Amino acid sequence: MAVLAPVSGSAAPVPRKKRRSRVSLSDRRTRFGLFNAAPVVIYLLVLFIYPIFSTLLLSLKGENGGLTLHWYTDAFQGANLEILLTTLRISAETSLLSLVIGFVLAAAVSRLKPLWAGLVMVVVVVPHFISALVRTYGWIILLGEHGVINNALTGLHIPGAPFQLLYNETGVVIGTTSVMLPYTVLLLYAVMKGIDRRLMAAAASMGAGRVTIFRRVYLPLVAPGLVNAGILCFILCLGYYLTPALMGGEKQTMVASLIDEQVMKQDQWNGAAALGIILLLFTFAGLLLLRMLKSAGEAYRNRGTAS
Amino acid sequence: MTGLPSTLAGRITLVVCSTLILLFLVLPIVVIVVTSFGKDAFGSFPPSSWTLGWYKVLFADGSKWPAALSLSALVASLTTVFSLVLGVTAATALVRSNLPLRSAVYGLVLAPLVIPQVVLALGLFLLFEPASMLGSPIAIALGHTVLASPIAVMILMATLQGIDERLEDAAASMGAGRLTVARRITFPLAMPGLVAAGIFSFITSFDEFFISQFLSSVDTVTLPVQVFNVLQYDVDPSVTAVSAILIAVAVVALALVAAVRRLSGSGKQDGLLPTEPGVGLTAGSETAT
Repeated sequence: MAVLAPVSGSAAPVPRKKRRSRVSLSDRRTRFGLFNAAPVVIYLLVLFIYPIFSTLLLSLKGENGGLTLHWYTDAFQGANLEILLTTLRISAETSLLSLVIGFVLAAAVSRLKPLWAGLVMVVVVVPHFISALVRTYGWIILLGEHGVINNALTGLHIPGAPFQLLYNETGVVIGTTSVMLPYTVLLLYAVMKGIDRRLMAAAASMGAGRVTIFRRVYLPLVAPGLVNAGILCFILCLGYYLTPALMGGEKQTMVASLIDEQVMKQDQWNGAAALGIILLLFTFAGLLLLRMLKSAGEAYRNRGTAS
Repeated sequence: MTGLPSTLAGRITLVVCSTLILLFLVLPIVVIVVTSFGKDAFGSFPPSSWTLGWYKVLFADGSKWPAALSLSALVASLTTVFSLVLGVTAATALVRSNLPLRSAVYGLVLAPLVIPQVVLALGLFLLFEPASMLGSPIAIALGHTVLASPIAVMILMATLQGIDERLEDAAASMGAGRLTVARRITFPLAMPGLVAAGIFSFITSFDEFFISQFLSSVDTVTLPVQVFNVLQYDVDPSVTAVSAILIAVAVVALALVAAVRRLSGSGKQDGLLPTEPGVGLTAGSETAT
């Protein structure tokens, strides 16, 4: 335990105070901090930063040693480009669906009494901690040609049933959405809980209709949360492997599956590394966009209050 | 607080929609548990008759599952130890000291949560392959710790922030040394957080697939990798039983966390579970640069 770690000069039982205490004391607190931060920083430099760095180097290494961008041009050509676009498309579809469904559920929960809201959130959070692999397998059982869903639809005499719900894009989007949904619900619920419901009542008292209130009052208040949840969901989908690999067909191959195949079956390390770095760059772009939108939103709101 | 009164039709729509959405989350889990006790594997739902046969098959002679299960348990235990050590030190540094470059350290600690796991898995393979450590439980646990430690750090930071520093100061003013303060004051108060951090590290590792897939060798395969391999190549109804066991492990773990928090009285009224990783992701994105 770190708190038990001996620290130089610990013999003096000086009451510790917050930052503005004497210089020698603050100096000791700094050393204490560095001492305790060292393990995690060293660990992550060796097992997180260095591996990513070596992936980057590998993706730039030519067949005869020199530097090359060959693997990147490869990644943006033919079948690989198609897989990249598929990844973006499926990620977009999934995040949109998770946002819409998450919005409805979060809006409903934020109107419930605390006890019920707590119970519903348990139902949302517990699946989140159950292996995604297991939940994907559950969907495979449910969506099969003679699975529960198709049996129910046939039983209700829905025209066209049984539907092909597995090994195509419908299956992938359903499965991935159910994995991503807890994230959007949690993020949106946090935002919605903070909204003062009297604002809506005030708008109604001024004669605004329900649609207007939703569009002009509620939506702008929730918008930052929607952007946040949407972009994070998109980022998480980009590198997602399990569900698309198990529930998709040939046309739903995503970048993570391509990397897996190149490594495990084709021994194509450099190409896989380049694809990984492209995923990483997309992730950084998403995080940057999130940050920019956030500061833009804050600036906009500040201007609104100033004028 | 007076909000906008809702219409009856609106309420009914909302209730119906949210029930459907909750079913959407729960159904895949329920179907596995029910099917695992059913005699006719995938034939019909609900099953026509019940059996424990699929569970017996798992532990029959020549089955690959016990080895995978014990490897997963070993790896998850190692991960728990590693990430608790890292988590306690990091949380202490981040909450209880004047750390230079604090936000950079915090960003580094949370970064593994948003980085695509493929990249991490690929990089770890490049690191461990030359050292011929592929398939070693320690290598897999070291990889899992990268994913588990951010969660441990977040939970332990919240725990430390919740402990009144004046209690430690008071003990120190009465002449208690640093060690005594840590052992008698901080440690007992941080216990629920430590248990939660340990349990979440354990399930993070126990359920992890991608890193294990890259770092395992032919004869050392963790439980999720084994499940994936079976699902990909042949359908074996005993996978349903394994999946049900994985579900049970996660549910028991979460129940334990909730129980410890309730017993120690530190659970706030609305939060049954401590800092969920999902919530932590927002924090991660805020400090990412």
